[in-house]
Amino acid sequence: MTREETLNELKKVIAPYTVNKEMLAGINDQTDLIRDLKINSANLVDIIIDAEAKYDIEIDYDSADKMTNVGSCLDVITEKINQK
Amino acid sequence: MISTGNDIVALKAINVARTKQQKFYNKIITGSEKALYEGQFSERLPFEYFVWLAWSVKESVFKYLQRLNPELIFSPSKIKISKLEPPSSQRVSHFEGRDFNKKTVYEGIIDYSPHTFYSRTIITDDFIFSVVSHTNNFEKVMWGIKKIGSTDADDQSKAVRTFALAMLNTLFPDSELQIDKNNHSCPVILKNDIEILVPISLAHHDHWVGYSFQV
Repeated sequence: MTREETLNELKKVIAPYTVNKEMLAGINDQTDLIRDLKINSANLVDIIIDAEAKYDIEIDYDSADKMTNVGSCLDVITEKINQK
Repeated sequence: MISTGNDIVALKAINVARTKQQKFYNKIITGSEKALYEGQFSERLPFEYFVWLAWSVKESVFKYLQRLNPELIFSPSKIKISKLEPPSSQRVSHFEGRDFNKKTVYEGIIDYSPHTFYSRTIITDDFIFSVVSHTNNFEKVMWGIKKIGSTDADDQSKAVRTFALAMLNTLFPDSELQIDKNNHSCPVILKNDIEILVPISLAHHDHWVGYSFQV
Protein backbone atom coordinates (compact mmCIF):
# COMPACT_ATOMS: atom_id res chain seq x y z
CA MET A 1 0.00 0.00 0.00
CA THR A 2 1.47 3.38 -0.98
CA ARG A 3 1.47 6.31 1.44
CA GLU A 4 -1.22 7.97 -0.69
CA GLU A 5 -3.42 4.88 -0.53
CA THR A 6 -2.90 4.70 3.23
CA LEU A 7 -3.81 8.39 3.48
CA ASN A 8 -7.03 7.86 1.53
CA GLU A 9 -8.04 5.04 3.85
CA LEU A 10 -7.07 7.13 6.88
CA LYS A 11 -9.46 9.86 5.71
CA LYS A 12 -12.29 7.31 5.91
CA VAL A 13 -11.22 6.36 9.44
CA ILE A 14 -11.14 9.98 10.59
CA ALA A 15 -14.31 11.12 8.77
CA PRO A 16 -16.89 10.10 11.45
CA TYR A 17 -15.06 12.15 14.07
CA THR A 18 -14.72 15.50 12.32
CA VAL A 19 -17.27 17.90 10.93
CA ASN A 20 -14.51 19.80 9.16
CA LYS A 21 -14.99 17.86 5.90
CA GLU A 22 -13.38 20.54 3.75
CA MET A 23 -10.14 20.38 5.71
CA LEU A 24 -10.31 16.58 5.83
CA ALA A 25 -10.30 16.46 2.03
CA GLY A 26 -7.05 18.43 1.95
CA ILE A 27 -5.17 16.99 4.93
CA ASN A 28 -1.40 16.61 4.83
CA ASP A 29 1.32 15.33 7.16
CA GLN A 30 1.20 18.47 9.29
CA THR A 31 -2.58 18.43 9.86
CA ASP A 32 -3.20 18.16 13.62
CA LEU A 33 -6.13 15.94 14.57
CA ILE A 34 -7.33 18.09 17.46
CA ARG A 35 -6.22 21.59 16.51
CA ASP A 36 -6.98 21.50 12.77
CA LEU A 37 -9.68 18.87 12.35
CA LYS A 38 -11.39 19.83 15.64
CA ILE A 39 -11.58 16.20 16.68
CA ASN A 40 -12.46 15.89 20.35
CA SER A 41 -9.67 14.23 22.28
CA ALA A 42 -12.22 11.74 23.61
CA ASN A 43 -12.40 10.31 20.06
CA LEU A 44 -8.67 9.70 19.63
CA VAL A 45 -8.95 6.17 21.00
CA ASP A 46 -11.82 5.53 18.56
CA ILE A 47 -9.55 6.51 15.68
CA ILE A 48 -6.79 4.18 16.88
CA ILE A 49 -9.22 1.27 17.29
CA ASP A 50 -10.78 1.94 13.87
CA ALA A 51 -7.34 2.16 12.27
CA GLU A 52 -6.41 -1.19 13.80
CA ALA A 53 -9.51 -2.73 12.25
CA LYS A 54 -9.14 -0.98 8.89
CA TYR A 55 -5.50 -2.03 8.35
CA ASP A 56 -5.63 -5.27 10.37
CA ILE A 57 -2.81 -4.14 12.64
CA GLU A 58 -2.20 -3.74 16.36
CA ILE A 59 -1.07 -0.37 17.64
CA ASP A 60 0.83 -0.50 20.94
CA TYR A 61 0.72 2.21 23.63
CA ASP A 62 3.87 4.02 22.61
CA SER A 63 2.89 4.09 18.94
CA ALA A 64 -0.66 5.24 19.76
CA ASP A 65 0.71 8.11 21.82
CA LYS A 66 2.51 9.44 18.75
CA MET A 67 -0.64 9.63 16.60
CA THR A 68 -1.39 13.32 17.01
CA ASN A 69 -1.13 14.48 13.41
CA VAL A 70 -1.73 12.92 10.00
CA GLY A 71 1.96 12.36 9.29
CA SER A 72 2.58 10.50 12.54
CA CYS A 73 -0.59 8.44 11.99
CA LEU A 74 0.66 7.40 8.55
CA ASP A 75 4.13 6.60 9.92
CA VAL A 76 2.72 4.36 12.64
CA ILE A 77 0.24 2.62 10.33
CA THR A 78 2.90 2.03 7.67
CA GLU A 79 5.31 0.65 10.27
CA LYS A 80 2.69 -1.74 11.63
CA ILE A 81 1.64 -2.90 8.15
CA ASN A 82 5.28 -3.61 7.29
CA GLN A 83 5.69 -5.65 10.49
CA LYS A 84 2.86 -8.01 9.55
CA MET B 1 5.28 27.09 38.10
CA ILE B 2 1.75 26.22 39.12
CA SER B 3 -0.65 25.09 36.41
CA THR B 4 -4.14 23.65 36.16
CA GLY B 5 -5.85 20.97 34.11
CA ASN B 6 -9.45 19.91 33.62
CA ASP B 7 -11.54 17.78 31.31
CA ILE B 8 -15.20 17.03 30.72
CA VAL B 9 -16.81 13.97 29.14
CA ALA B 10 -20.43 14.15 28.00
CA LEU B 11 -21.94 10.80 28.91
CA LYS B 12 -24.64 11.02 26.23
CA ALA B 13 -21.88 11.17 23.61
CA ILE B 14 -19.83 8.15 24.64
CA ASN B 15 -20.14 4.75 22.98
CA VAL B 16 -20.98 2.48 25.91
CA ALA B 17 -20.60 -0.81 24.03
CA ARG B 18 -17.23 0.17 22.62
CA THR B 19 -15.98 1.47 25.97
CA LYS B 20 -16.62 -1.98 27.47
CA GLN B 21 -14.49 -3.68 24.81
CA GLN B 22 -11.13 -4.74 26.19
CA LYS B 23 -9.18 -3.45 23.20
CA PHE B 24 -10.72 -0.02 23.81
CA TYR B 25 -10.42 0.35 27.57
CA ASN B 26 -6.94 -1.18 27.56
CA LYS B 27 -5.77 1.95 25.75
CA ILE B 28 -7.05 4.11 28.62
CA ILE B 29 -6.78 2.22 31.90
CA THR B 30 -3.99 0.03 33.26
CA GLY B 31 -4.29 -3.39 34.88
CA SER B 32 -3.93 -1.87 38.35
CA GLU B 33 -6.73 0.61 37.60
CA LYS B 34 -9.00 -2.20 36.42
CA ALA B 35 -8.23 -3.99 39.70
CA LEU B 36 -9.05 -0.77 41.57
CA TYR B 37 -12.43 -0.70 39.82
CA GLU B 38 -13.18 -4.34 40.54
CA GLY B 39 -12.15 -4.01 44.18
CA GLN B 40 -13.89 -0.79 45.08
CA PHE B 41 -16.25 0.52 42.46
CA SER B 42 -17.91 -2.26 40.50
CA GLU B 43 -21.06 -2.10 42.59
CA ARG B 44 -21.48 1.65 42.59
CA LEU B 45 -20.24 2.83 39.20
CA PRO B 46 -20.85 1.45 35.70
CA PHE B 47 -17.57 0.31 34.17
CA GLU B 48 -17.86 2.75 31.28
CA TYR B 49 -18.16 5.62 33.77
CA PHE B 50 -14.96 4.46 35.45
CA VAL B 51 -13.11 4.28 32.13
CA TRP B 52 -14.14 7.82 31.25
CA LEU B 53 -13.42 9.05 34.77
CA ALA B 54 -9.90 7.70 34.28
CA TRP B 55 -9.69 9.36 30.86
CA SER B 56 -10.82 12.73 32.22
CA VAL B 57 -8.32 12.59 35.08
CA LYS B 58 -5.46 11.59 32.77
CA GLU B 59 -6.36 14.23 30.19
CA SER B 60 -6.42 16.80 33.01
CA VAL B 61 -2.94 15.75 34.13
CA PHE B 62 -1.74 16.04 30.55
CA LYS B 63 -3.20 19.53 30.20
CA TYR B 64 -1.61 20.57 33.51
CA LEU B 65 1.84 19.45 32.39
CA GLN B 66 1.58 20.45 28.73
CA ARG B 67 1.45 24.10 29.78
CA LEU B 68 4.84 23.62 31.42
CA ASN B 69 6.23 21.24 28.79
CA PRO B 70 4.66 21.96 25.37
CA GLU B 71 6.39 18.99 23.73
CA LEU B 72 4.79 16.50 26.11
CA ILE B 73 2.93 13.58 24.49
CA PHE B 74 -0.31 12.33 26.02
CA SER B 75 0.31 8.79 27.27
CA PRO B 76 -2.75 7.53 29.16
CA SER B 77 -1.08 4.23 30.06
CA LYS B 78 1.76 6.04 31.87
CA ILE B 79 -0.53 8.23 34.00
CA LYS B 80 -1.75 5.97 36.78
CA ILE B 81 -4.55 6.49 39.27
CA SER B 82 -3.17 4.91 42.41
CA LYS B 83 -5.99 5.83 44.78
CA LEU B 84 -9.61 6.85 44.32
CA GLU B 85 -12.05 7.65 47.08
CA PRO B 86 -15.76 7.75 46.26
CA PRO B 87 -18.11 10.53 47.39
CA SER B 88 -20.41 9.98 50.34
CA SER B 89 -23.27 11.61 48.45
CA GLN B 90 -23.95 11.65 44.72
CA ARG B 91 -26.10 14.76 44.86
CA VAL B 92 -24.26 17.65 43.21
CA SER B 93 -25.75 20.96 44.29
CA HIS B 94 -23.78 23.47 42.24
CA PHE B 95 -21.84 23.49 38.99
CA GLU B 96 -19.46 26.38 39.59
CA GLY B 97 -17.33 27.71 42.41
CA ARG B 98 -14.14 27.61 44.42
CA ASP B 99 -12.83 24.31 45.81
CA PHE B 100 -15.10 21.25 45.86
CA ASN B 101 -17.63 19.80 48.26
CA LYS B 102 -15.79 16.65 49.32
CA LYS B 103 -19.08 14.84 49.87
CA THR B 104 -19.91 14.97 46.18
CA VAL B 105 -16.58 14.31 44.43
CA TYR B 106 -14.32 11.39 43.69
CA GLU B 107 -10.91 12.21 45.15
CA GLY B 108 -7.93 10.69 43.40
CA ILE B 109 -4.17 10.44 43.65
CA ILE B 110 -2.33 10.08 40.37
CA ASP B 111 1.24 9.00 39.75
CA TYR B 112 3.01 10.18 36.64
CA SER B 113 6.65 9.70 37.44
CA PRO B 114 8.24 11.76 38.91
CA HIS B 115 5.07 13.75 39.61
CA THR B 116 2.11 13.18 41.92
CA PHE B 117 -1.22 14.84 41.24
CA TYR B 118 -4.53 15.07 43.08
CA SER B 119 -7.90 15.01 41.38
CA ARG B 120 -11.49 15.96 42.04
CA THR B 121 -14.15 14.42 39.80
CA ILE B 122 -17.86 15.16 39.66
CA ILE B 123 -20.09 12.54 38.04
CA THR B 124 -23.74 13.11 37.15
CA ASP B 125 -26.02 11.31 34.70
CA ASP B 126 -24.87 13.81 32.06
CA PHE B 127 -21.14 14.31 32.46
CA ILE B 128 -17.86 13.46 34.13
CA PHE B 129 -15.83 16.53 35.07
CA SER B 130 -12.32 16.38 36.51
CA VAL B 131 -9.79 18.90 37.76
CA VAL B 132 -6.26 18.10 38.88
CA SER B 133 -3.82 19.97 41.06
CA HIS B 134 -0.27 19.56 42.32
CA THR B 135 -1.60 19.71 45.89
CA ASN B 136 -4.48 18.00 47.65
CA ASN B 137 -5.77 21.42 48.66
CA PHE B 138 -8.12 22.88 46.03
CA GLU B 139 -8.94 26.12 47.88
CA LYS B 140 -7.30 28.18 45.15
CA VAL B 141 -9.00 26.33 42.31
CA MET B 142 -11.98 27.96 40.59
CA TRP B 143 -14.06 25.76 38.30
CA GLY B 144 -17.29 25.70 36.35
CA ILE B 145 -19.49 23.38 34.30
CA LYS B 146 -22.22 24.46 31.90
CA LYS B 147 -24.58 22.96 29.34
CA ILE B 148 -24.66 24.72 25.98
CA GLY B 149 -26.96 24.49 22.98
CA SER B 150 -24.48 23.79 20.21
CA THR B 151 -21.98 20.99 19.61
CA ASP B 152 -20.08 22.94 16.96
CA ALA B 153 -16.41 23.19 17.95
CA ASP B 154 -16.22 26.96 17.40
CA ASP B 155 -19.41 27.52 19.40
CA GLN B 156 -18.07 25.32 22.22
CA SER B 157 -14.85 27.29 22.24
CA LYS B 158 -16.65 30.64 22.40
CA ALA B 159 -19.10 29.43 25.04
CA VAL B 160 -16.46 28.13 27.42
CA ARG B 161 -14.45 31.34 27.11
CA THR B 162 -17.50 33.49 27.81
CA PHE B 163 -18.39 31.27 30.77
CA ALA B 164 -14.91 31.40 32.30
CA LEU B 165 -14.57 35.14 31.69
CA ALA B 166 -17.82 35.78 33.56
CA MET B 167 -16.26 34.23 36.66
CA LEU B 168 -12.90 35.93 36.07
CA ASN B 169 -14.62 39.31 35.79
CA THR B 170 -16.23 38.87 39.21
CA LEU B 171 -12.78 38.20 40.70
CA PHE B 172 -10.94 40.89 38.74
CA PRO B 173 -13.72 43.47 38.19
CA ASP B 174 -11.56 46.33 37.01
CA SER B 175 -9.58 44.32 34.50
CA GLU B 176 -10.39 43.92 30.84
CA LEU B 177 -9.50 40.28 30.51
CA GLN B 178 -9.42 38.09 27.43
CA ILE B 179 -8.73 34.42 26.89
CA ASP B 180 -6.50 33.48 24.00
CA LYS B 181 -4.14 30.65 23.12
CA ASN B 182 -0.37 30.83 23.36
CA ASN B 183 2.01 29.54 20.69
CA HIS B 184 1.59 26.02 22.02
CA SER B 185 -2.23 26.08 21.90
CA CYS B 186 -2.58 26.38 25.69
CA PRO B 187 -5.27 28.83 26.82
CA VAL B 188 -3.94 31.93 28.56
CA ILE B 189 -5.59 34.90 30.25
CA LEU B 190 -4.57 38.29 28.89
CA LYS B 191 -4.87 41.70 30.48
CA ASN B 192 -4.18 44.49 28.01
CA ASP B 193 -2.72 41.84 25.69
CA ILE B 194 -0.22 40.69 28.32
CA GLU B 195 -0.50 37.22 29.86
CA ILE B 196 -1.29 37.20 33.56
CA LEU B 197 -0.11 34.48 35.92
CA VAL B 198 -3.47 32.78 36.31
CA PRO B 199 -3.27 29.39 34.61
CA ILE B 200 -6.54 28.33 33.01
CA SER B 201 -7.75 25.10 31.44
CA LEU B 202 -10.78 24.75 29.16
CA ALA B 203 -12.70 21.65 28.11
CA HIS B 204 -15.70 20.84 25.97
CA HIS B 205 -17.47 17.74 24.79
CA ASP B 206 -20.81 17.59 23.03
CA HIS B 207 -23.23 19.88 24.91
CA TRP B 208 -21.01 20.41 27.96
CA VAL B 209 -18.19 22.84 28.66
CA GLY B 210 -16.00 23.29 31.71
CA TYR B 211 -13.11 25.36 32.98
CA SER B 212 -10.66 25.50 35.84
CA PHE B 213 -8.21 28.17 36.88
CA GLN B 214 -5.85 28.69 39.76
CA VAL B 215 -5.99 31.97 41.72
